Amino acid sequence: MAPGGYFGRALVVDVAGDAATAAPLPLDDAVLRAYLGGVGLGTWLLHTLSPAGVDPLAPEAPLAFVFSPLVGTPLTTSAKFAVVATSPLTGLLTDALASSQFAIAGKLTGHDAIVVRGRASVLSVVLVDASGVRVEPCPELAGLPAADAETALSARFGRGWRSAAIGPAGERGVRFATISHDGRHAGRGGLGAVLGAKNLKAVLVRAGTKAAVADAPAVLAAARDLRARSFGPATAKYRELGTLANLLAFNAVSTLPTRNFTAATFDGAPRLAAEELHELRGVARNSCASCSIGCEHIYSRRGGGSQRMEYENVFALGPMCGVSDPDDVFAASARCDELGIDTISAGGTIAWAMECAERGLLDEPWLRFGDGAALLRALDAIGTRSPGLGELLAQGSRHAAGVVGHGSIDFAPQVKGLELPGYEPRTLQAMALGLAVNSRGADHNRSGAYEADLSGEVDRLDGGDPHVHAAIATEDRAAVMDSMILCKFLRGVFTDPFTEWAALLAPVTGWDLDADELRATARRIVTAKRAFNLRAGATAADDTLPARMLETPLVLASGRSAALTADTLRSMVAGYYAARGWDAEGRPCT
Amino acid sequence: MVSSEGPAAGVVLAGGRSSRMGTAKAALEWHGSTLLYRTTALLARTLDGPVVVVAAPGQDLPALPAGVAVTEDPVEGRGPLQGIAAGLTAVAERASQAFVCSTDMPFLHPAFVRCVLGGLTPAADVALPFARGFRQPLAAVYRTSLAGPAAELVADGMLKPGMLFARCTVTSLDDARLLSDPDVARFDPDLDSVVNVNEPADYAAARGRKPAEVVVECFGALASDGRRGPRPVAAATLAAAADAVGLTLDRHVVAALNGDQITRDPLLPLVAGDTVAFLSADAGG
Repeated sequence: MAPGGYFGRALVVDVAGDAATAAPLPLDDAVLRAYLGGVGLGTWLLHTLSPAGVDPLAPEAPLAFVFSPLVGTPLTTSAKFAVVATSPLTGLLTDALASSQFAIAGKLTGHDAIVVRGRASVLSVVLVDASGVRVEPCPELAGLPAADAETALSARFGRGWRSAAIGPAGERGVRFATISHDGRHAGRGGLGAVLGAKNLKAVLVRAGTKAAVADAPAVLAAARDLRARSFGPATAKYRELGTLANLLAFNAVSTLPTRNFTAATFDGAPRLAAEELHELRGVARNSCASCSIGCEHIYSRRGGGSQRMEYENVFALGPMCGVSDPDDVFAASARCDELGIDTISAGGTIAWAMECAERGLLDEPWLRFGDGAALLRALDAIGTRSPGLGELLAQGSRHAAGVVGHGSIDFAPQVKGLELPGYEPRTLQAMALGLAVNSRGADHNRSGAYEADLSGEVDRLDGGDPHVHAAIATEDRAAVMDSMILCKFLRGVFTDPFTEWAALLAPVTGWDLDADELRATARRIVTAKRAFNLRAGATAADDTLPARMLETPLVLASGRSAALTADTLRSMVAGYYAARGWDAEGRPCT
Repeated sequence: MVSSEGPAAGVVLAGGRSSRMGTAKAALEWHGSTLLYRTTALLARTLDGPVVVVAAPGQDLPALPAGVAVTEDPVEGRGPLQGIAAGLTAVAERASQAFVCSTDMPFLHPAFVRCVLGGLTPAADVALPFARGFRQPLAAVYRTSLAGPAAELVADGMLKPGMLFARCTVTSLDDARLLSDPDVARFDPDLDSVVNVNEPADYAAARGRKPAEVVVECFGALASDGRRGPRPVAAATLAAAADAVGLTLDRHVVAALNGDQITRDPLLPLVAGDTVAFLSADAGG
């Protein structure tokens, strides 16, 4: 019998031609307890099911939708799922989370994960419920945005089905395409291209069973307590202004990447600030499924309509590209949603292209920093993979820099092929380490070491041993939160996180867990990701940052210089390996 | 600050007898902390090298900021040159120069410290202010290589800083030179940095001064309730600045001082010209 909150099995779906076969993959108690769910269990599934060296876009490459023991419980923010695969952008493990009813319906098909392999002969959808699996062709959905496809699928198959769908960029193999449901994207690493390569527009799930928890009254009590705490000061930022509240704050402390990381402050920041937009354009607030925080802030667009805005899409499509007109940034964000592409990778890749064009490395004289129309034109080129620029940029900045040459890789804003999020490494040096070593590439969700930089615990401008320990601590916390799965915006409500998380998991699963076991779980998951990447060809040389960040100091408004040298980063990386118990080449020793 | 010669240390002499004050000056209350805390924290926020307090043997010291170290004079009551020697010795491996001051300088300003550091020419061993009519050996910058010569002088019974100056190269910084620094001219026009409090009346007068004016700005959710935009407030410490805008410094709030240093120390001393940004402690995005 499976532990509480689990079914004890994954479903492995093989699509071939116009049909699908499905087989359960048993997940025993030891595997579930060792990897929990979400990102952790997804990593185990990829180790188990992914052939070594497989092309991420090959039919046999597995794409896993992974749930967790908390999905379906009344615990706030628990309606989340992970999508895990080998990234077509990095060639390494990638995992992305999204929050929606898809998580609940998917789990209540009776599976802890659904893994899709193969390739349909025509554009199709896969439908999974408690009664089985089938493939239905849907060529009429070709080219539709994911949201429109969801609407059409709901009309065709009925409202009980929930779909995770791709936009036209996923169909066309843009290497940073997303998978989305209900407007929420599993955004990073190109998972949409993986689904598109299987000729699948969407995966549909329908609930048909229930998942029992070990101690329902205790889970309910814990949920009430967590919900009450979620209304406190730790989440005020998200409730009141959303993640976009970071923009002006980051600008004030010189950590807002601007014009492809040539500056860390942006003159146009006040125009894009949450404080300003909230007053002038704020129209609504929204929550993910099963969430009591409500971090989504929706703004009106000039000429009609509205747009959900987050810090990362505003950073990437605004300051990163030098664009300060909020309507341009709104339009660019909406275009990314329609195409189904990751805003961070899109903005980073276009910012790199703008710099190339200004340096004369790309013959695209219209592509200039600060030009909102050029930004939209470049996004359309990517989404359609138009010959020339669109085809080039659809591969991401690392690949594009390889084609353009002339040292442009030095300022391609990526680590391991994944474009950097909106945290300037030179002024956040614990984060610099986190970005360099993370298995997913430059990533702020699996490594939130900026927490230490911006807490005063470490000198954010002088990386060293304390930064190593801070980076590991935050990476471990993320590994558990992303596997349980809980939203990281809750993190501030926990004062003794591993102990409190063990106390949440215990009544759900029936396991006698404690903080030490969860700490070991975190280390196991981080190491498993590392092992997968080593198998895929990663080496210690990949654990670095773009040359620009290691060779060009930033001068802060205070007059202080922010320099991160290659020696400093190398020293921190070596300290990280040692503290993780890995060898000098970053290989786990066990 | 990082000079072209590498990190600069701070040395605070706290081992004096405070005989005129009648009580230990290091422990005198200063806006919620002590004079010694204020002086050491001021140097720590200004310099990028270590900060060391030189105490008398066995002296009880009040609480110090995180990271500030303590060393002791070898012998009690042998004067400032012994303290200078002990302080320079303590920091010599980590810094080539040190700003040395006494504990009782409640208006010491970072601009003054930076100006004196900048006054240490490559050929000089000491940058010595001559301010407000007096030579200021305890508001001066010394090369840490002087630790040995200073200790030798003390061992020979030559206990005055002037005896060290006679044996090394000194750059003198007069009022005009100090005030030619735009930041000193703007934020410390009367060179109050070198004001000492030696007697109870000095202390009472200093404590009675209005705190310096700083500019505070709140961001994100902290800017609600009418706290949006920069505003000038009089505040001697970070906690006072938070209080002035109705914020409580708890685990959900951090502050950025002058756009770079992130801190949660409520007792962090503030000075004229400072800007303080209060931010949400959660920077997730």
